[in-house]
Amino acid sequence: MHDASVVIPANESADSRLGTSIQPESLARAIEHAIEYLPTQGPISIFVHHNTLHSFEHLPFDQAVIEGGRRYGCEPYLSESRYRDELHRGRISIDDLRQVLMDDLGDHADDLVASFGTRYTLRLAMLQVTIDAVPDAELRWLIAETDLLRKFREEVSPQRREQMITQTRNWVARHVAGSARSADSTAASSLPESVLGVMSDFGSGDIQHWSERRWEELTLRLLWQACRDGIQQAQVPSPTASTPLTLHQKISRVTGEDTARVVNDVLIRFVGVFLDQGFADWELPDRDLGFATSFAKLYLEKLVVTPAWMEGIKRELRAIVEGPFDPMLSIADSLARMGIEFDEFDEEICEAALALRGWAGMIWQMETATPFLPKPIPDGSFFEYLAIRLLLQRYAISDVGRRHFGTSDLAQIRSRVDSATEARHQPSIDERTHAIFQVAQIGGWTPQQLFDMTSHQWTCLVNEFQSFSSLERRRILHTAYERHYMVQTLDALAVHARRRRELPRSPETKPSFLAVFCIDDREESFRRHLEEVDPRCETASAAGFFAVAMYYRGADQAHYRPLCPAIIQPNHYVQEEPLFSTIEASKRRANRRRQLGQMKHRVHANSRSLIGGMFTAVFGALATIPMVTRILAPRLTAKMRESLGTFMRPPATELHLEREAEEPGSDPESLGYSLDEMAAIVVRILQDIGHVKNLPRIVVFFGHGSSSLNNPHESAYNCGACSGGRGGPNARAFAMMANDPRVRELVAKRGIELPSEVRFVGAFHNTCDDSVEYYDLDLLPRSHRGLFREIEKSVDQTRARDAHERARRFESAPLDMTPREALEHVEERSQDLSQARPEYNHATNALVTVGRRHWTRGLFMDRRVFLTEYDPAVDDEDVNVLTRILSAAIPVCAGISLEYYFSSIDVEGYGCGSKLPHNVASMVGVMTGAASDLRPGLSQQMIEIHEPMRILFVIETTPEKMARIIEKNEGIARLVEGHWVSVALIDPETSSIMRYVDRQFEPYTPSSNDLPQVESSIDWYRGTRTNLGFASIVDRAPPAG
Amino acid sequence: MNVIDSEMPFQVLGTAVVASPMILLAVLGVSALVGKPLTESLISRMTQVAVAVALASALTLVGLMLVVGRSYVPVEWGDWVTIPEHHFHFHLKFVFDALSIPFVLLSCVLCGIVGAFTQRYLHREEGYGRFFLYYAIFFSGMVTSSLAGTIETLFVGWEMVGLSSALLVAYFLERENPVRNGQRVWSVYRLADAAFLIAAITMHHMTGRGDFGGLLSTGVWPYGTATITSTQALLVGSLLLVAAAGKSALFPFSGWLPRAMEGPTPSSAIFYGALSVHLGAFLLLRVSPIIQASLLLQLMVIALGTVTAISGSLMSRVQSDIKASLAYASLTQVGLIVIEIGLGLHYLALIHIVGHACLRTMQLLRAPTLLRDYDELENAMGSRLPREAWAGARNLPVDVQRWCYRFGFDRGFMDTALDRWIVAPFQDFFSWFDRVEHRVTDVISRESSRESEQAKLHPEELEKAA
Repeated sequence: MHDASVVIPANESADSRLGTSIQPESLARAIEHAIEYLPTQGPISIFVHHNTLHSFEHLPFDQAVIEGGRRYGCEPYLSESRYRDELHRGRISIDDLRQVLMDDLGDHADDLVASFGTRYTLRLAMLQVTIDAVPDAELRWLIAETDLLRKFREEVSPQRREQMITQTRNWVARHVAGSARSADSTAASSLPESVLGVMSDFGSGDIQHWSERRWEELTLRLLWQACRDGIQQAQVPSPTASTPLTLHQKISRVTGEDTARVVNDVLIRFVGVFLDQGFADWELPDRDLGFATSFAKLYLEKLVVTPAWMEGIKRELRAIVEGPFDPMLSIADSLARMGIEFDEFDEEICEAALALRGWAGMIWQMETATPFLPKPIPDGSFFEYLAIRLLLQRYAISDVGRRHFGTSDLAQIRSRVDSATEARHQPSIDERTHAIFQVAQIGGWTPQQLFDMTSHQWTCLVNEFQSFSSLERRRILHTAYERHYMVQTLDALAVHARRRRELPRSPETKPSFLAVFCIDDREESFRRHLEEVDPRCETASAAGFFAVAMYYRGADQAHYRPLCPAIIQPNHYVQEEPLFSTIEASKRRANRRRQLGQMKHRVHANSRSLIGGMFTAVFGALATIPMVTRILAPRLTAKMRESLGTFMRPPATELHLEREAEEPGSDPESLGYSLDEMAAIVVRILQDIGHVKNLPRIVVFFGHGSSSLNNPHESAYNCGACSGGRGGPNARAFAMMANDPRVRELVAKRGIELPSEVRFVGAFHNTCDDSVEYYDLDLLPRSHRGLFREIEKSVDQTRARDAHERARRFESAPLDMTPREALEHVEERSQDLSQARPEYNHATNALVTVGRRHWTRGLFMDRRVFLTEYDPAVDDEDVNVLTRILSAAIPVCAGISLEYYFSSIDVEGYGCGSKLPHNVASMVGVMTGAASDLRPGLSQQMIEIHEPMRILFVIETTPEKMARIIEKNEGIARLVEGHWVSVALIDPETSSIMRYVDRQFEPYTPSSNDLPQVESSIDWYRGTRTNLGFASIVDRAPPAG
Repeated sequence: MNVIDSEMPFQVLGTAVVASPMILLAVLGVSALVGKPLTESLISRMTQVAVAVALASALTLVGLMLVVGRSYVPVEWGDWVTIPEHHFHFHLKFVFDALSIPFVLLSCVLCGIVGAFTQRYLHREEGYGRFFLYYAIFFSGMVTSSLAGTIETLFVGWEMVGLSSALLVAYFLERENPVRNGQRVWSVYRLADAAFLIAAITMHHMTGRGDFGGLLSTGVWPYGTATITSTQALLVGSLLLVAAAGKSALFPFSGWLPRAMEGPTPSSAIFYGALSVHLGAFLLLRVSPIIQASLLLQLMVIALGTVTAISGSLMSRVQSDIKASLAYASLTQVGLIVIEIGLGLHYLALIHIVGHACLRTMQLLRAPTLLRDYDELENAMGSRLPREAWAGARNLPVDVQRWCYRFGFDRGFMDTALDRWIVAPFQDFFSWFDRVEHRVTDVISRESSRESEQAKLHPEELEKAA
């Protein structure tokens, strides 16, 4: 989101003072480099979904996940066994695998590998079995204690097993019998040396009388031996990891001690109080003096107990306090003392920066990107953090040295560690044998075949084998996983578009009303149900801030907060104010709120203090009553609280939307928009949604948000196009603008007529409890009230149906609920303190359609799609409208989908782990448990039903136009060309589909023409909990006429 | 006949209170042991029933006692172990009196609430059954120790609470920190247990029995007086004080309290915020006649409470994360409760415990909603929240203020001091023995012994072979 480049002061004095080879530029570069890898999530109260591997976006996706995974120690894809489960479940079909493998191999598919057929068949065989990688120790155990060398694996078919045993038996018997008869040893010795070895170990006895089981065992033993001999013959080095070890890693390998742990203990606590946004009553002294100075002063206190490893650090800290302190010099000094060479800079600095990457990233974010926080931190904090970190690291290493090598001299420790560090563990012969042995069984390769192979053939086979490593297999499996959904989707869209085309329609009928939503995937079901409830209505969508980018402050809010996508820096300020006639009443209520708030705050703060705590505690038993009711009857309690709150809520309000001053700003007279600006917003949105004429009498704009309790990530559930805020005010502001006759005049000048009978209404949809709230209804003309009541009735029915469809995903909601009960269920969820899954947010998102609603209307898409409205007819030749839609939709939807992807792939590494032990720290993020790194990303409970896939865009446009957009927009090009998103184009008039493959568009041939047709959504999803396929819902719109 | 009639309901109800959690524990434990995991709904249903039965029987019993006008109901489960030659008998006995009844009611109510909360909070969690198993151990332990009529009964409950607490700290056993911290909690608990056990044996030695009644010549709690001399009281009392200090995280053991916040939020709430942390104070209340018997002991209790309360409040103000802050806030109040016990204000201490436990449970349960709460408060007040360091701070010299900040920041230096001055010398001492032993075995076997030390550190580490 922000510009990651930094200006680092170059220090000419570094060389002269230290007399080392460290060059300031290379150090600055290394730090700059490390900063790019820091997580870019800001404070958790303004949660913006973004690509977790943002800093790797310049690479193609498949390369980035591997590089990123290496950098952060995370997984690139799901585990092989997960994909294999999906294979058994049918979520990936064999056909997907074949197709993907074919595409991947291209011309090399038919290359012959040793004597086992083509590369394609070998790889297909390898994809279908689980190749266990087992360390030596376990392997020894497996051989000694299990049936590894006694029985074939279960996946091997009985025929194949039979065949292998018989062939081996004949082969062995022939030779042994031959040698017995001819009495000269040439025949028997034509068996390879090692076979004889195995045979003699295997025990004597007449082989004629061996049981089947014994032959099976011999076959397997021979097979093992053959593989082992082969690996030894093959001139292939075993695969090794290439990244060099850092000093800290070496120390931990040699001594088993983690020097970072003690350092982290100190830093977590200190960074916590340093970044604190007002939680602790007592602020860190000298915080304004900067990170290093406040740290040094704190640790220079006298009469304290310091941990043993920090002994002697005071000298350094004194130097910091006495100043002048230059973090860059300090970093250079620390690196020099630890004997870090020039070429190791990048790795060492990166490791130091990423050791607590959550906290470090937050320092950087707060320094550079969050001017709005109540307690900003001084510039340069990140460098000082790094300097202090390395300083502490030095002392921690010295301490380990003292205890393990009897010296605290860093240079000596380093040389001791260097000499003691062994080469990295490489897979041993047995481990590699085991891998091939498993495939040999499945492939039905007999020992004889393997023994007969030349060493050249073995080299070829082992190379082939190693080149299709676990990582490669996972990549292919993942691609097949994504392909499966893509095929289903494109097939369904093609069929559905055809069905829609074949419907009789008259283009000039006006809908009963128009409802405009955010493009959010959670609104898909709401729109679908609304269209089912009132088949004469139409729905449309635009990014949920409705082009009203503003800082907004509600009548009962203390601060402005941005309500627009995070990439936009708003210029306008809008405030909600009480109506002129209710100003007095509003003041009284504000007073009551303030008094109650002060009381609550006092109770809250004092309950943690000494004396105040005593009084609150003595009366604390009273706290049980609300606690018990809240936990046992959340919904009822919430209703009661709400009715009690009536005396304090602001009375009727209006938006201060029209500006008097020239320039926008936050002063009272410069709040709001000018009429021209309003007209531009109205035109833009009406064009985006493709409704520039024939508007019905009422158009409702629905902003959305979500409210839940005990959820530090609450903001992540809100509207992404509003920076994690609630989009109601945007809808309200838009409606006010569009209703203003003066604005309409200006709009008319730009070619869009808005007749006076067309009225806009703003509304807010809460996606957690499915409640809907309307704004400024008093301004609706009497003539429109009847229609509005009808709309309200339809929306109420829709709410219940939407809740019902959502509830099927909640395991704790019974499947046989009625829509009404489901509505109550979701209402309770949002008020329940103990609910870790108030809603599932964007989980399962997989698809974006950009085009007219007409061809997707009535298609059941299971809340997995961002429906973006776009009408090519409204667009100009230069596709300006589509360009502006896509330049918002692609980065935003990709950000959401990729954050979900990475958090699901590795919830502990990229995500924030389980929600259950989360601990809100410094008001800026969550830690896991008592003390940990700050955890960005999504939690286990948010992603548990998600299918990690790159999002698929289906856009209604032509290849030429799309190619032009990609070419002209760097941001779109990076994501599309790097395959961070998949793109397909559709022409709904012919149902022809083009896919974006290898930088060009290729026609897509549907693989099936089946698409179930059902009466209503509920008929399709009822009784199921898992992801559902597509279905057409019968259109009930009355025939034209 | 009449006697049995009037006694029967008391015995039945009393037994039900204790047996209900035990049965829950047995069912959950056996199902886990035989590898037949129960479903979520069954577990939560059984837990609710167990708590409800215990609570209902306790309430009925209290009602009966009020009606009949009794203030003391013992329930005897007999001697479980007797060693006549040493005059030892392990006697299980539960009493219902003015101290145990509020405490057992508190335990039932809070356990019930947390059970209801957790049932939804841990939904779909892999360790659901494991959590409720620990919960059952904890619940049984709480009920047993609340109602304990003999010191050995109290010890049984005490151990169960300790065990389940340590296991729950380490609930997320796939991560390193919870396990490490769980072990730390466990080590401190063991220290407390050792002190407790020695105290129990000493008591047996002095009075020949572990019955709390034996210590008290006449009257029911809190009106008893100790039958032992003040020197004897000082000895037993200081041991029990060490036990209580370990269990309630009093000075200098406070370091483990924030570390215990590793488990799921509700377990932190009930165990460290509410019940477990008060158990030490409860022990002191139970043996308050002993404390009253020695003035020196009384002063020690008050001093310990004061130091704990003051350091707790300093530490609480400095913490920047909600759970650690609440943990130390709890500690502050526990310190005050200990002072009250030292001063002999038993009923105040009891009320304080009950109120504080309820308040803190609620605060911890809604700890994750902190951001929203603060936002609402700021909106209501129309400004940023005021931050008041501490009323008295302004009067102190700046240097002292800074020192106090550092004291709070470093959590009273307690962990550091324990590590440096107790743990490290202890380890050094025994590794010295280890080296001696190594040398001796080398000499005896005439070669380098202990191949095990040559083994590689991480043999299980696996580079991707295929």
